[in-house]
Amino acid sequence: MSPNVLVNVSGLHKSFGDAEVLRGMDFEVERGEVVAIIGPSGSGKTTMLRCVNLLERPSAGRIEVDGRILCEEQADGSMSFASKTEIRAVREHVGMVFQRFNLFPHFTAVENVIEAPMAVRGMKRADAQARALELLESVGLAHKADSYPLQLSGGQQQRVAIARALAMDPALMLFDEVTSSVDPELAGEILLVMKRLAQDGMTMLVVTHEMGFAAEVADRVLFIDHGLIVEEGPAQEVLGKPKHERTRSFLRAVLERAPMVEEEADDDAQASTL
Amino acid sequence: MEWDVVLESFPLIWKGASKTLSLFAWSLVAGTVLGLAVALMKLSSAKTLIWSATLFSWLFRGIPLLILLFYAFFALPEVGWLLSGFWAAVLGLSLWTAAYQAEVIRSGIIAVDQGQTEASDALGMTRSHSMRRIIIPQSIRIMVPPFTSNATTLLKQTSLATLVTVPEMTLLTQRIFSNNFKFIEPIFVLAMIYLAMTTVLIIGQLIVERTFRLRT
Repeated sequence: MSPNVLVNVSGLHKSFGDAEVLRGMDFEVERGEVVAIIGPSGSGKTTMLRCVNLLERPSAGRIEVDGRILCEEQADGSMSFASKTEIRAVREHVGMVFQRFNLFPHFTAVENVIEAPMAVRGMKRADAQARALELLESVGLAHKADSYPLQLSGGQQQRVAIARALAMDPALMLFDEVTSSVDPELAGEILLVMKRLAQDGMTMLVVTHEMGFAAEVADRVLFIDHGLIVEEGPAQEVLGKPKHERTRSFLRAVLERAPMVEEEADDDAQASTL
Repeated sequence: MEWDVVLESFPLIWKGASKTLSLFAWSLVAGTVLGLAVALMKLSSAKTLIWSATLFSWLFRGIPLLILLFYAFFALPEVGWLLSGFWAAVLGLSLWTAAYQAEVIRSGIIAVDQGQTEASDALGMTRSHSMRRIIIPQSIRIMVPPFTSNATTLLKQTSLATLVTVPEMTLLTQRIFSNNFKFIEPIFVLAMIYLAMTTVLIIGQLIVERTFRLRT
């Protein structure tokens, strides 16, 4: 694996009971790359993202992040996972921003940001605080440092959540539909922060419904459907001239709000053509 | 009701208040600590822990408190474990209340949004750190009302310690019966003291709820 590859995933499968949500995915993310993951609701994109920091445990497949193997299949087909300590060591460098913010509601904005650097990194309160204020400043919320999450708008909460993740100096940031639970007019402030982050060279894996953002910021786009990567390539190609009918139909549905055309073809057949 | 008998009875019964309150305090603290342990065992992923915690709840919620007190006071000495009435009562009350506190604590922890655990995990925190700093502080807000009702029940149930010879308020009240055959007044006094004590607990609940409410 080239040293430039930060995330390497192969043969990723995930089932919840009888439901097979991920049906064999392979992808890589290089350092400094911004990869957007798009696809219809229920396609498995969130599950796929959550596997990268092992919030979801894959049923099969191999995941390597920053040179550490999080899970792989044994010769007998069983899965072996990294130890709790190794998993934590990886998570320390992988920031995640959630759809519903998941800020700690009993802490102020700045307390949300300093908690992990102090607990996990053993940073001194004064240092953590100084860094947290810088980060809150960079997301435009220095003046809200002492506000509690429920006193903030959705857009502000999400920007605090981004600052909280950045406080751990991550090598990789995972974004899970981070604008989906805020009012549309507030999404822009979140996207602006993400765009700046991308320009600063952050490696980002972004599950999103914001096609404008994907087109403008992402280096690469993965289109996911029914647990498979149907199409991938440079953002302009996948979004501009998609090769697969499935992708075209999805983009029409999103961009023109036209109903999505359900394909007759059976998904396995479709998979084999890839 | 004769008010002079009420006034005479009050100091006699009040003498037992400190015993009642120390039974209550010891059992509440021991029962809550044990209840927390049982709750965490139930929430763990180790089968033996889950099973022993489940067995504990089943036993101590299923057997009448009075019988637990009799066990502690009359049966344990038979196997060489001699407890005073007071400590036998504390033992029985603690085990009994722990079984109920465990459920309160467990449901409080479960009620905290799963996203809180995920956010803590994603930041690389250890489970014990996120329990202590993130989950339990938030679950306290949820637990306070059922916790207080357990506590009020416990306070009232300390009266059963009478039957294992602890000179708490109820026992002293019975002594008045047998001395002067007055019933109405001592019982009234006793009831009012319990009511006053439980009222303090309920006011405490309101104060704690206010302290832990989320700032909006």
